[in-house]
Amino acid sequence: MLFEQLLIVGIITGSVYSLVGVGFTLVLGVGRVANFAHGSFVAVGLYLALFASETLGLNAYEAFVPAIILFALIGIAVAELFEWRGRKVGEIGELLIGLALLLLIGGLLEVLFSDTPRTINGLVLGHVDIAGLTISGTQLVAVAFTLVTAVSLYLFLRGSRWGRALRAVAENGEAAGLYGVRVPVARRAAVTISIVVAGAAGIVISPFTVLTPDVGSTYLISAFAVVIVGGIGNALGAVLAGIGIGIVTSLSSGYLASYWTSLAPLIVILIVLLVRPGLSEAV
Amino acid sequence: MTRLRFSAPAWRWIALAVFFVLGWLVIGALPAAPVSVIVLALFYGAAGSSFNLLYGALGIFSLAQPVFVAVGGYTSSYLYVRYGISPWIGLLAGMACAAILAVPIGFVAMRRPGTVVTALVTLIISEAATPILSAITPLGGSIGLYIPVKSGTDWGALQFATGVPFARLFLALNVLIVAGLMGFGRSRAGLWTAAIKDSADAASATGVPVLRMRLSIFIASAMIAAVPGVLFAQYNLLVNADLFLGSAVLFQLLVVALVGGSARPWGALVGALVMTELSQYLSNAAGDRPGIGPLTFAAAFLVMALAMPRGISGTWARFVSARQARAGGGDDREPPDTRDHHEGNVAPLARGPSRDSAETETPTP
Repeated sequence: MLFEQLLIVGIITGSVYSLVGVGFTLVLGVGRVANFAHGSFVAVGLYLALFASETLGLNAYEAFVPAIILFALIGIAVAELFEWRGRKVGEIGELLIGLALLLLIGGLLEVLFSDTPRTINGLVLGHVDIAGLTISGTQLVAVAFTLVTAVSLYLFLRGSRWGRALRAVAENGEAAGLYGVRVPVARRAAVTISIVVAGAAGIVISPFTVLTPDVGSTYLISAFAVVIVGGIGNALGAVLAGIGIGIVTSLSSGYLASYWTSLAPLIVILIVLLVRPGLSEAV
Repeated sequence: MTRLRFSAPAWRWIALAVFFVLGWLVIGALPAAPVSVIVLALFYGAAGSSFNLLYGALGIFSLAQPVFVAVGGYTSSYLYVRYGISPWIGLLAGMACAAILAVPIGFVAMRRPGTVVTALVTLIISEAATPILSAITPLGGSIGLYIPVKSGTDWGALQFATGVPFARLFLALNVLIVAGLMGFGRSRAGLWTAAIKDSADAASATGVPVLRMRLSIFIASAMIAAVPGVLFAQYNLLVNADLFLGSAVLFQLLVVALVGGSARPWGALVGALVMTELSQYLSNAAGDRPGIGPLTFAAAFLVMALAMPRGISGTWARFVSARQARAGGGDDREPPDTRDHHEGNVAPLARGPSRDSAETETPTP
């Protein structure tokens, strides 16, 4: 009984990790940019949902579409910033921008919403009882959203012209450029998509998540973990890795002493690092 | 062509000595509150220098430096608390422990080259350090270790009645590190790392032991990082995970190192002094509104990052080389903008260590 419960909890938290990791892995693969601010956009999504529910009286799903449009605009602006810096000073410029945005967003959220942990009340979609465990409807929606996003991202990358262009850039930017792919456009697209997905993840998980301004760095680290286990630029790998890490975390919290809860997934990652000859880089 | 600009003509050594003497005197004249800010700044300066050694010399973006700082602090504190061994010996032991730990970490992080992979792996190691420390009972678990207080000044136990001797020790440490980096740039190893940073393949082909050099520099930077850890533990009279690890410390270290820039040995030191003083000033000016301090600090960092992407020392280096190009004429044939890009051209290993001026660039053969 306990095992099944822990498994289900693990899948739910793991799907959140996957959702955050999918965008991060895309940017790493296509743009070769480690966007330090990636997790912060999840935090922005969370606080946007809080703002919508407290000030505008909208629940997370009603705020979803306007928020996506907003995140697309933010994404285009940030992508432009990365591209501009990358062209001018290279890798270090992009790392600096990411780090500055991470600190800036954290500070901004703390000023606007104070650093007391918050939760959003009001949105209830009923619940399901499985194996003696009550799962809220919003959690099921989050899992479903992860799967849909991951599958459509995978199909987009595999099937469409645009997706093929992105994969070509990920494999070899120079060669893709020679074949007529507009490499800077592909990189901008990757950054924008990743920010939209991260923001959407924040909105979707907001009904069952505790909000703190520094939640961004927590999600950044989980995104790093997902990429290491799933491989750079590998969307499907990111989903499996995220769910795997979620399950390991959940099981270790059930069966092992408390300090192992945060340690167990890290040990798994270190083992993966030692065993694998290198990080795979297939999109 | 990328080139490590750690070499220094004689007047730089004089400037360093003057800085040391002036700093020593200024610290003695200050009241207690500014001294504590200076201790913090110089702590981050030393830790940031260890990051800049890696990033500046080889382009290795290591986020594991706080781990080595913590190893230094924990080793000396454990030896002192448990066995009463002087922190001076603990300092050597801490450096040794950091070096031993750096071997597997460096191997895993750098087995596959690439800034991004190294950053990913070292961030995970950095994050794993806190739960690992909490799990080790002899090291005090999540509470940490408290160092027994001696009354008054005790050089053997590295405890002082005021912060002034600590500030001076940190100052001496920073000056030693800067001097070491200046000497390193002129050594054979310094030239090798410059060649590896330009093109690992080309360097390897000309007989430079690439992986061995990368590992050696990684170990050296871990040993450097352990020293401020020991001093900071003694200054605070405690060690715990919050003091050394955690994302706040890591990001502060990165900000200091990147604002300073790795183009000159003094980059991190200047970055630390500027950013720590600035953050202190801003949080005072912001009053008690929560979050304003961190927000203005982040905004200041963003402005710095946009205005001086190569850091203060990088901007200075470009200024100096532009001036020399105007004065000398044609020595600096390379446009400054391409300096930090990896063009993959062959590094001229024939360049002797006797070259005096750091800025004059040899045209690529």
